[in-house]
Amino acid sequence: MRTLKKFAKFDRFDFLTYPAVLFVFLLFTWMLVVYVTNSIPAFQREGWNVYFTNVWNASECPDKEYYGILAAIWGSLYTSIIALLVALPLSISYSIFVVDYAPKRLRGILEITSDIMAGLPTIIYGIWGAFFLVPFLKEWVMMPVYDYLSFIPIFSQKPVSGFSFFSAGVLLGIMITPFVSAVVREAYATIPHTYREAAYSLGLTRYEATKILVGYVKPAMISGTILGFGRAIGETVAVSLVVGNAFNVSADPFSPGYTISSLIATQYGNSFIYTHMTSVLYAAGLFLFLVGLVITLLGMYVLRRWKKNVSI
Amino acid sequence: MYQFDMRRIKEYSFLGVICILSFLMIFPLFHIIFTVFADGIGTLVSTGPVFITGTLDEGGIGPAILGTIILAFFASLIGIPIAFAVGVYAYEYPHSVIGKATTALLEITQEFPTILVGLFVTQILVLPMGTYSAIAGAFALAIILMPYVAVYTKEAMSQIPFTFREAAFSIGVPKVKTVFLIIAPIAKRGILTGLLISVAKVAGETAPLLFTAGGLYQTYPDSLTQPVGAIPLLIYTLVQSPSPADHAMAWGASLVLLLIFLAAFIPLRLSIKEVRL
Amino acid sequence: MFLYSSIVLLCAYIFYVEKIYIYDVNCEVEVKLMRTSWKVSRVAFALLIVVFIAAIFMWPHGAGATTIRTTGATFPQYQIQKWITEYQKNHTDVKIEYEGGGSGHGQETFLQGLTQIGRSDPPVTLDVWNRFISTGDQPFQFPEIVGAVVVSYNLPGISHLNLSQDTLGGIFIGSIEYWDNYRIARDNPGIHLPHQKIIVVHRSDASGTTDIFTTYLSLINRTWAKEVGSGKTVNWPTDKIGRGLAGNGNPGVVAILKQTKYSICYTELSYAINEKLSTAALENRDGNFVEPTEKTIRAAVSKVSSDIPPPNEGYRENISQLLNAPGNESYPIVAFTHLLVWKNINGKHYTKEEAIAIKEFLKWILTDGQKPENLTPGYVGLPRNVAEIGLKAASQIEVP
Repeated sequence: MRTLKKFAKFDRFDFLTYPAVLFVFLLFTWMLVVYVTNSIPAFQREGWNVYFTNVWNASECPDKEYYGILAAIWGSLYTSIIALLVALPLSISYSIFVVDYAPKRLRGILEITSDIMAGLPTIIYGIWGAFFLVPFLKEWVMMPVYDYLSFIPIFSQKPVSGFSFFSAGVLLGIMITPFVSAVVREAYATIPHTYREAAYSLGLTRYEATKILVGYVKPAMISGTILGFGRAIGETVAVSLVVGNAFNVSADPFSPGYTISSLIATQYGNSFIYTHMTSVLYAAGLFLFLVGLVITLLGMYVLRRWKKNVSI
Repeated sequence: MYQFDMRRIKEYSFLGVICILSFLMIFPLFHIIFTVFADGIGTLVSTGPVFITGTLDEGGIGPAILGTIILAFFASLIGIPIAFAVGVYAYEYPHSVIGKATTALLEITQEFPTILVGLFVTQILVLPMGTYSAIAGAFALAIILMPYVAVYTKEAMSQIPFTFREAAFSIGVPKVKTVFLIIAPIAKRGILTGLLISVAKVAGETAPLLFTAGGLYQTYPDSLTQPVGAIPLLIYTLVQSPSPADHAMAWGASLVLLLIFLAAFIPLRLSIKEVRL
Repeated sequence: MFLYSSIVLLCAYIFYVEKIYIYDVNCEVEVKLMRTSWKVSRVAFALLIVVFIAAIFMWPHGAGATTIRTTGATFPQYQIQKWITEYQKNHTDVKIEYEGGGSGHGQETFLQGLTQIGRSDPPVTLDVWNRFISTGDQPFQFPEIVGAVVVSYNLPGISHLNLSQDTLGGIFIGSIEYWDNYRIARDNPGIHLPHQKIIVVHRSDASGTTDIFTTYLSLINRTWAKEVGSGKTVNWPTDKIGRGLAGNGNPGVVAILKQTKYSICYTELSYAINEKLSTAALENRDGNFVEPTEKTIRAAVSKVSSDIPPPNEGYRENISQLLNAPGNESYPIVAFTHLLVWKNINGKHYTKEEAIAIKEFLKWILTDGQKPENLTPGYVGLPRNVAEIGLKAASQIEVP
């Protein structure tokens, strides 16, 4: 009787939806398992050096093979940070403008534009980046910076080509701005109107009022930043077309580099003829997997905690 | 008096900066659309309708367009039923442990690097099957599609007032019927639009197709277990070519992709209040 | 079959959507304004579906044609594409899908059965050959065409450049940093060279062109041989000092070269011809500077008695046999590029139609395909005795 009752609680609704939920969880776990098991040989062979050295000795003689993806890790982090430096000011001012100042009709247009940017196929960003943005940045940003600011150590090298961390970072920045601003805008819009009224009733200017209001959504901005970082680090095709694909660990933003996703995209197609390369690429994938996981969880955590604490 | 002026200067410069930066944010989109049109229209006009229907040899991208349609269709076929069920589950149990975990998982997978999905599908489908195939490409796209659809479903259903549920339960309608036959149809508008927006987004993906779909541009695909082409994949190959003819073709293909995307996306976007991509 | 089933599914899908809509009309919950906007998207949706169906109906599809896929080296790209175009003119029942990706990709996809004809510039190594054998089928490898690796540069205003063996090594090793370095100037008296950094463009994928070029560099430069060596991918010294760039396939490399001033790269001659790149005259074994032309390539091929193993022992072939050939006029970096096919024991890799089509195509390539009218500029046809090797392989492919 008791078991029957227990069974009855598990009704047709659960019967329909549980398998799907289970499937999604299994799929995700399976993915993790595939990455872990396939990257074990690389760790056994090279240990943590896989992540901390910059060598790419592909050789048909297995003993001579040695790989370290430091350059790709460095490139991924560097380009994503540049992307955030581009995206943050843009998305914060966009959020303020849309929520506080834009006329209703303009607001609608701005929101739709931003959404189109979020959904636009990444390859279109890629072709635009490779054929327009790279030459443009080289001519109008990199060369002037080198000409006038070369006393700063990281700009002391003459930019050799447009393909660089910087170009990739700017392109990524443009691509992630809609995602970051979606989070910031949503948070900024939830600030009750009474706060604004209170600020203006004190005789504050719009600048001063906004400064205070922005303070309230700081955690949302942090969360948006983190989520944007996650998006930037995982982007593949657009970046691989503009980053230059060179194994280079350098602080010079105008020099070419690699990113993890670009490394996988360009090397996986020929990795099987080498004995150890495939495993290293899975190790690179695992790194991306875990970084993405941690970053998303962190971003969600910050946002949740903020939503809970600021019960406005 | 001086103090007041300082404030005013700050005020105006602040407003100016805000306006300029907001404009700068959306400017790239217009520039992209302009560039793609300017560089793509020539190819489209000079090649004529063959560009849409012909094979690569004839100077067209027909197989790629059909490939993208096939991939999007089968990705939807695989992904949507599962994602719908997951979304409904997350809506129904927002506070249970599994429900919370599901929501978290959806958010994680939405952020997931798409190249990793491609690699995963290569490992579990392409290598065992011994061939690139439309079905592998569609499966990779389906994995990326699922979290979007599920989140849209959940959000759309959460918008429906709780009173509908109460009313249904009070006359003894079982849960499964309440959710699937009452709440879901009411929220249908949001669900369907969200679903189509997700499909439009996923159809333009490149990275998951890199090692799964294979590419087919000389003939039209006629089997699910054979390689298939896709517009984004074709553009990715053509961009890396040195020849101006290939570049022209890449721009033309980009224009086609952009038009398909805008034609699908804008009306859909107009019919709902916000999107989550 | 697939088409019909997808149409049925589409119809079911539309019916499903319509039904829900009717249901919605009965539930008066939506605000009127919202419904009008929904109508817009409904029309768009219906249009989309119509386009889907129209597309699937109207599109011609590859019924009856056999599709063969060839993947790998981009070194012979122009030649292969020419062959494909010419061949398909007279053989409408066969479609040949070209895919690039580099020699490494060619070997990999061939090993995994993802392509029917693999292309690899350097002969397959014993290690990879054994992995081919371990699939239970017999691989064949044979030369398809002769090509040359050229050194191209992007120096505005300079149309002729001589590079001695010593200079070439220095540039790629990175010890020569600027274009107006005295070593380059010594080779090019009277030419005004710019004081600009040299950017070395190389391949990002595992490439046969890279293998040929680095093998040549190892032959002429001891430091290179010791510190970098040869292979389909090497650890480029210029990457580490921020003067290296990489492109995918020969096309990718050339695309970057064209976009980047003061860069230098190595690529196949046909790319230089088709993309109108400036190519350097290289110092050959006899100490002469020779431009890469059909004549100088032919001179190199005629000066060495090439020793090609039978197709079922492809791994024995020596990559460097055509490199640094003696002779006054011989161009120093010349190589065979190869095709890979399966013997198809027990129909393991090819269906009946595919096996027949592959046999015919290979026979055509190695006979009619080698005639001058079917060759593209930048390639030289195989010597007759070498073409025989491939014909032997083609005749041994089993039709299940």
